[in-house]
Amino acid sequence: MKKSISRRELLTLLAATGASGAVLNASAALNLIPDTQITSPRIPLADPSRPPRIVVLGSGISGLTAAYELDKAGYEVMVLEAAPRAGGRCMTVRSGDLIDEVGNPQVCEFDDEPHLYFNAGPARIPSTHRNLLNYCKELGVELETFINENKQCYFQDDAMFGGKPVKNTAFTTSARGFMAEIMAKCFDNRQLEDPFDQWEVEALMSAVRAFGDLSEDDLFQGSTRAGYAHGGFLEHGEPKETVAFRELLKSRFLRNALTANEGETGPMLFQPVGGMDNIVKGFTRKLENRIFYNVLVSSVKLVDQGVSIVYEHDGTRYRLEADYCFNCIPTHLMAGIDNNFPADYVEAMRYPRRGEAYKSAFQTAERFWEKDDIYGGISWVNAPIRQIWYPSHGMHRQKGVILSAYDFGGGMHFTRLSQEQRIEAAIRQGEKLHGDYRHQVEKGITIAWHRINHMLGCAARWQSGRRGMTRQEEKLFQTARRPAGGRHYIIGDQVTSHSGWQESAILSAHWAINDMVARQANGTSAMPGTPLAQV
Amino acid sequence: MNSLSKYLRVFSYTSVLALLVQSPTLPAQQFAELDTTYQSLGNKVCATCHGAYGRGNPVVGAPSLAGLEPWYLRSQLRKFRAGWRGAQRDYIPAYEMRAAVSNISNAEIELLVREITSWPDPEPEPSVTGDAESGQLLFAGCAACHGTAGTGNESLQAPALAGRDDWYLYRQLNLFKSGYRGGHPDDISGSQMRASARVLENDQFIMDVLAYINALENL
Repeated sequence: MKKSISRRELLTLLAATGASGAVLNASAALNLIPDTQITSPRIPLADPSRPPRIVVLGSGISGLTAAYELDKAGYEVMVLEAAPRAGGRCMTVRSGDLIDEVGNPQVCEFDDEPHLYFNAGPARIPSTHRNLLNYCKELGVELETFINENKQCYFQDDAMFGGKPVKNTAFTTSARGFMAEIMAKCFDNRQLEDPFDQWEVEALMSAVRAFGDLSEDDLFQGSTRAGYAHGGFLEHGEPKETVAFRELLKSRFLRNALTANEGETGPMLFQPVGGMDNIVKGFTRKLENRIFYNVLVSSVKLVDQGVSIVYEHDGTRYRLEADYCFNCIPTHLMAGIDNNFPADYVEAMRYPRRGEAYKSAFQTAERFWEKDDIYGGISWVNAPIRQIWYPSHGMHRQKGVILSAYDFGGGMHFTRLSQEQRIEAAIRQGEKLHGDYRHQVEKGITIAWHRINHMLGCAARWQSGRRGMTRQEEKLFQTARRPAGGRHYIIGDQVTSHSGWQESAILSAHWAINDMVARQANGTSAMPGTPLAQV
Repeated sequence: MNSLSKYLRVFSYTSVLALLVQSPTLPAQQFAELDTTYQSLGNKVCATCHGAYGRGNPVVGAPSLAGLEPWYLRSQLRKFRAGWRGAQRDYIPAYEMRAAVSNISNAEIELLVREITSWPDPEPEPSVTGDAESGQLLFAGCAACHGTAGTGNESLQAPALAGRDDWYLYRQLNLFKSGYRGGHPDDISGSQMRASARVLENDQFIMDVLAYINALENL
């Protein structure tokens, strides 16, 4: 039998949830729940006469975090990186930089100017990602605001208005107006088990009216929020004609229009001034002489009281023994590296699917979007490019770099195309928004994360379905997070429930360090003086 | 204390010293200075997908390379380069392999073949469950070209099957059957295999013959 929940019951429920929320907070570090606490590990200073040896595999954000924190605490840290650069997916592409795609290496041909860059990996920092922001502060990484939603950007969908792009402001004004009118018309106090009193009803209806800009009689008759057809400053303004709500329903963007500025991508968001990789540079400045590039790891083995690594550098193979290993090599690549991990750990490493995210960027001859009142923000296009991002920086300069495609979910559509086809497709799809697009594009660059050397994938995907992990997936996931032999930690956003964010990578490194510290305190990790030996 | 000397105090063993000498720490982001042609071949070029020293990585669909015959490596690299293999976009691993070697030179192929054949032959991990006895009967059809012990026959362009990853053979048999492999008109040996693979009518036949091939190793 269906029973409606009274407000009182709801409150009781909420209180109960609040209590369990406290429990969840307590275990947040362990479970890496998106959370607001700064988890900077408290690491007892190492004995300077015999500091523990740490090998970090991979210099992604999690690897850099682990190396930085442990180095600070006096541990002997060595970071082995396969690529000639640090940062993993935290990558900013500027003039002359290489995008090392297997079979399609590209050199960026943007003009050499500080504002002409492309954040090929992460590009936004939510203000709630406290640990990342904390490192920005600590490492002196200057930040500026990132504009995610801009009401002057467009929605374009061939299914609505005959494919004509609609300004976000016209779109959302109409959507909110009609939704508010429906709410006002349909609200029936008698249907509530515990009805509102007169004041409450008035407060609610006043908010609904304001939400949609309704008239006194609760009708939506257009709004100046959508802008003026003409006038509005010196002369009385003539509001723009309201876009037909029924047309909006033909597009799936109604959903996006109402959620783009909510949750994690809601204000405020930041970006480092000059490129996301300033975070990487902040770490590498502190880790001078600790990071070794062009190093290929060929074997990771658990040995008595430690981990033994074999790697190749410049044609020579070396063996290195360490007390602990923090490994942010993508688990799907670890499957190709010799190891002696327990079978369930290997099974877990092999499980996650490789992320397929794809981005491309164009340098344009002019900042043509600014003539259309667009400064930063995102336009949505119902085509494989999905989005166009206008830069949140470099306002009023001659040129700019825009993100010309971002498929955050799929991406294989573009990945399969040749470089020329990728560029042409992005131009053709972008032309739906900006008529002069083709003539504006000067240089193009693409990043198909599925094919990038030493990575072969974007954010790891543990879930096969949409509704969270299955029990089996949960089991594999938890197995991958436990240190193999108490010595080898898989780290990175890849072993969090919120992959694809730098905050997750940092939290994962913190968690692993805290776990190691706890193990040391428990006396489960005596330090053997294993010498290094050449193979 | 100077951080470098602190570092060397503990790690001052031959290997790391050599590493430091060979590789003074690069400032980050110097990768722009790299030449985009192959830096070095062999492990560096193949390892991302095919694993360390070509041991194979089923997770990304890349077979083991170590242990493959030099003539076979050469012929397959050329087939990929020519687009006889990997031209179809809907089988991603082969399509990516084609992209990876589409501009490779003959000299680079020879260098790769030389390096790959120097790598230790990895021990395959059997993964299929089939009936080896029934597979033995089916294998009679394979033996004509691939040899009764599955050790291959260069003169017939038939590579060794024994010792290969069964997950990879499984995929390739299906790709042959569907015409993705061996479908190019110029690919004579591939088209022969394509015709032969049709004999393995269903999945069970394939599993059985693979179970027998797995057993061949231990005969």
